[in-house]
Amino acid sequence: MPAQPPTILILPLGRLETLVLRVVAGYIQGILKVPVDIGETVEVPQETYIPDRHQYDAGLLIRFLREFAPSYRCVLGITSVDITLPIFTHVFGEAELGGHAALVSTYRLGKDTHGRRVTDAVFYERVAKVALHEIGHVFSLYHCGDGKCVMRFSAKLDGLDEIPLYFCDRCYFLLRRMIFRNRAGEDT
Amino acid sequence: MANARILVVDDELIVRESLMGWLRKAGHIVDCAQGGLEALGKIRETEYDLVFLDIKMPDMSGIEVLEKICECSPETMVIMITAYGSVETAVEAMKLGASDYLMKPFEPEHLLVLVDKLLRQKRIIEENILLKEQVAARRVRYQDLVGASPCMQRLFELIEEVAAVDSPVLIRGETGTGKELVAKAIHAKSRRRYGPFVAINCGAFPENLLESELFGFEAGAFTGAVKTRKGRIEMAEGGTLFLDEVGEIPLKMQIDMLRVLEEKRFQRLGGRDFISVDFRCVAATHGNLEEEIRKGNFRKDLYFRLNVIEIEVPPLRERKEDIGLLAEYFLSRFRRETNKSVMAITKDAIEFLESYDWPGNVRELENAIERAVVLAKDKVLTRKDFAFLTRQPDVLDEGDKTLEAVEKHHIARVLEECGWNVSKAARILGINRTTLHNKIKKYNLKDRQQ
Ligand SMILES: [Zn+2]
Ligand SMILES: [Zn+2]
Repeated sequence: MPAQPPTILILPLGRLETLVLRVVAGYIQGILKVPVDIGETVEVPQETYIPDRHQYDAGLLIRFLREFAPSYRCVLGITSVDITLPIFTHVFGEAELGGHAALVSTYRLGKDTHGRRVTDAVFYERVAKVALHEIGHVFSLYHCGDGKCVMRFSAKLDGLDEIPLYFCDRCYFLLRRMIFRNRAGEDT
Repeated sequence: MANARILVVDDELIVRESLMGWLRKAGHIVDCAQGGLEALGKIRETEYDLVFLDIKMPDMSGIEVLEKICECSPETMVIMITAYGSVETAVEAMKLGASDYLMKPFEPEHLLVLVDKLLRQKRIIEENILLKEQVAARRVRYQDLVGASPCMQRLFELIEEVAAVDSPVLIRGETGTGKELVAKAIHAKSRRRYGPFVAINCGAFPENLLESELFGFEAGAFTGAVKTRKGRIEMAEGGTLFLDEVGEIPLKMQIDMLRVLEEKRFQRLGGRDFISVDFRCVAATHGNLEEEIRKGNFRKDLYFRLNVIEIEVPPLRERKEDIGLLAEYFLSRFRRETNKSVMAITKDAIEFLESYDWPGNVRELENAIERAVVLAKDKVLTRKDFAFLTRQPDVLDEGDKTLEAVEKHHIARVLEECGWNVSKAARILGINRTTLHNKIKKYNLKDRQQ
């Protein structure tokens, strides 16, 4: 009997345009070939706010997300607030390596390096790239040295724009294997 | 650059977690320690490529831990983690051997660049260690001479043969090729090795001084000769006399030298008695003695007396394959001497050194490596550190092309580059400190930083 494919739940954290959620869901579905659901909006927990940084703690948010939707293979939080890990100035996203939760912030993705608004197409692509990258980590992928791979690390906008919206052959192979293995694991 | 072994040392859980998290996502194997003692325990057990080290920890300061790491694991790269208030300590840590520092909070991109750079350097250091081991396995060092090239291997064999006989030797080679090292090797391998090795550079003395240096003098031989003094010939008794730049011996004195070599006895200046001596003569020249004979500047009979066995030392440009080896050899020597933690040299830099012509031969290479080590900021020397080799000399002021002006300019520049460390500058310039001090005074040079 074919097993139920693992699915990804996109969880809006705080107020967001519904379009961005749908576009990201479409990209993930198209590239990973797995079903994606969009959940109900959840408020950003205030205890994750770092007052002197005016940012939210991505580590604590991941811990918060981890408790959601255990029936899904992966939960991806999308938020419009600025997130960081305390040692860093900022992060675009965060994930548990080989875990359950991933997170993307759209806060820094809507403008170019000079602070001008970018087109919707560029904005959606960036959000989708960060989302796929963080989901990759949830499925145990490391950063990739291949310039033509979404698992290449970049914490800068121009770097992010150079990265393609797909996985290199090696990462894609590993990712598919992880998805398959997890599915088999759930069966037994 | 995946799969490096990394240790994160910090008393704050949040720092450990977020750094470890990021490093694991980059594919590295990461351990952590909450304090200095735990960290040192782990470092003794595991060889880490990279250590992130907090400057302030309750049980032990990061600086103390750093010093221990540098001691027991000098190849490990250390990045200090600091907060806004402790940048000065971080700078101090870099002087003690830390590779770099990060100030919290830092750009994630910055972390990536730094980790990549240091792991690349680490790999070069490992390759260099490998090279060193390969070097040790082959016979590339002969006394103080270094070379794996066929011509140097032949030279080592020749020295071995020559050392066994007691005849005079003439060593030929360009300036800086290491003629004195060849002479010393002959001495060290000969039956005279327990006797003295006495060297004199015949070109370094004015005529009358060279004579008294070589032959010595009796008290009262000339004004100022208060006490009897032995000359170098006499000092070489039982050992080897090395006459460097033998072509510079004035014609008049050549006959005296010939007599010493033929009769094995001589007189001190102003002396009546003949003193017998037993030494082996090894002479060297960078010039063309045959040409000097034709011009009448050098005696043919002395030439034949000196040139019983001839050894040619090849210029560096004819044995470019030895440049990497020599660079490595000088690097480890200057690392010891200067106490700097420069561990390696990139392939790219070696290729650049191989492409250079080395008119000053091994000595120029030695000076170049020393200069690069002294001024190095990283643990690895790159091509950039040798850019000075191809730099055009700075343009001097109009009409200021006298030798003195050039010398003044050059000394000033070297002093600036060494941060006015006179000993360092003197070594780079190839003169002693006293001479440099005199020149600083003479040219009225001043440290503009003070
Ligand atoms: Zn990542
Ligand atoms: Zn990849």
